[in-house]
Amino acid sequence: MSREPRTFAEVLRMNLGAVTARASVRIVAAFRERSWLIGETVFPFLSMSTFVLVYRGLHAPPAFEAFAVLGGAMIAYWNNVLWSMASQFFWEKEQGQLQLYLITPVSRMSILLGMALGGMLATTTRALVILAAGLWLFHVPFPLDRVPGALGLFLLTLGALYGLGMILSSVFLLWGREAWNTVTLFQEPVYLASGFYFPVRALGTLVASVAGLIPITLGLDGIRQIFYGDAARGFLPLAWIVPIQAALLVVYLFLAHRALLTMENLGKREGRLTIRGG
Amino acid sequence: MAADGAGIGAKRAWETMRAGAWIGWQVEANWADPFLFLVFAIAKPLSTTLILYLMAKVVSGGAVTPAAFHQLFIGNTFFLYVTEVLIGISWAVFRDREDYETMKYIYVAPIRFLHYLLGRGLTKVATASIGIAFALSFGALVLGVPLRHDPATLAKLLGVTVAGLIGVMWLGVSLAGISLVVARHSITLNEGLSGVFYLLCGAVFPIDVLPSFAQRIALVLPFTYWLELLRRVLTGESYSEILRRVDDMTLGAILVATTIATMIGGYLWFSWCERTARARGLIDWKSNY
Repeated sequence: MSREPRTFAEVLRMNLGAVTARASVRIVAAFRERSWLIGETVFPFLSMSTFVLVYRGLHAPPAFEAFAVLGGAMIAYWNNVLWSMASQFFWEKEQGQLQLYLITPVSRMSILLGMALGGMLATTTRALVILAAGLWLFHVPFPLDRVPGALGLFLLTLGALYGLGMILSSVFLLWGREAWNTVTLFQEPVYLASGFYFPVRALGTLVASVAGLIPITLGLDGIRQIFYGDAARGFLPLAWIVPIQAALLVVYLFLAHRALLTMENLGKREGRLTIRGG
Repeated sequence: MAADGAGIGAKRAWETMRAGAWIGWQVEANWADPFLFLVFAIAKPLSTTLILYLMAKVVSGGAVTPAAFHQLFIGNTFFLYVTEVLIGISWAVFRDREDYETMKYIYVAPIRFLHYLLGRGLTKVATASIGIAFALSFGALVLGVPLRHDPATLAKLLGVTVAGLIGVMWLGVSLAGISLVVARHSITLNEGLSGVFYLLCGAVFPIDVLPSFAQRIALVLPFTYWLELLRRVLTGESYSEILRRVDDMTLGAILVATTIATMIGGYLWFSWCERTARARGLIDWKSNY
């Protein structure tokens, strides 16, 4: 008869195992289905190309085309957060998998973290293809010497973004069947609010400030400022963006933990964790 | 006698389409109260309209002529029909086959699945129309897009819209045919196809800025002519230098011809896919991921 792990080292090893296992599934799945590979690289690239050509049709300066290319690459992460983080527990429940997670002796946060890390890695391959193809095909200006600084802010943004995704996964689970439609509702409006294709400053201070709660908004604003300076028409000074993103990361991870507990308790109390289609 | 048979067949087809449309409406709308559903219907067109507005008016500043925004506004707004109807009809196959598991029952009933699908397509036309009507009103009233709205223009608009929509519906039927013979996760390909059309038919930019090989593809797509005609009807102006040389009558004739070709091609393709799906036992396929 095996005993329950008690020492910190044992608990840590078990949870790291859960993180690795969940991340592995995500990475393997991301490369297994060829139609998904095409759907997640070629089609977003075409969508991004459309917005580059809108700028070209409007005779806008080349820097604007670069905004669309960067935004197009970042959209891959937002879509991954929506479709593969936020709605994931709902799909898992529908397939009868959620209950298996709940009876394992690992932290639910480990499973979410594995999901997030696997999603980030898999999505990065898509985003890189979209970015590289955009830069190569449209010859947009892209100062490579500024990549390290942008990369730091990018990683911070991803952390906060996937933290938000962890919160949404609990919330969406409670929404049940509406989750599907809610995901759709969160797509284009967030493309607008986060300024994926234009500097978010254009939305005005109030709207842009509220949109800043979505980490990708300020992350993208800061990354554009790092690459293009004043031409990026930044919303907030770069010096403010880094601490704000760090604060969002901490707050969202805390809230994700609380939301997960609430979801689990509520689901158990109402007997909804094993119900399909509701 | 034969005429009676045809009459009964047409009546059965219409009843099937009507039932399909009603079921489609229930699937689309019964998850939310009317207000939330309205928000859902207008969120996408409103968001894309505002993205383009901000790109054109604010970001590019003085370099942009208002006429350029008017043209891309109309193209983007009406393209919602393509996105919604194309994906909606093909997605209905996956939902009915794998989620609700009802497709096999439709096949054992004395009705044609094609008529049912066309009914489902009509629902998507209706829900897209809500979004488009709102976006057009928003464009005219809030963004100041001057849209002609005299009775003659509205009659022309109706004719051009219906002609284009018939083509869109039958292209959706073609994609539904593909859906019958592929697993559900291939929906990304169907979704992506609307993105390809969005890029190639010049919905939000003149096709003149496309590379020459892409311009050639644009000129065989019915949507290119459809959107150009809609722009001319609503603003009296042409968007593309390439299409400016073609007069309205010729554009209309091309639209009708491409629509008829899409109908015939769609019918033949769907029938072939349907026979293949039945022969391979795919009508109750559940791919489950």
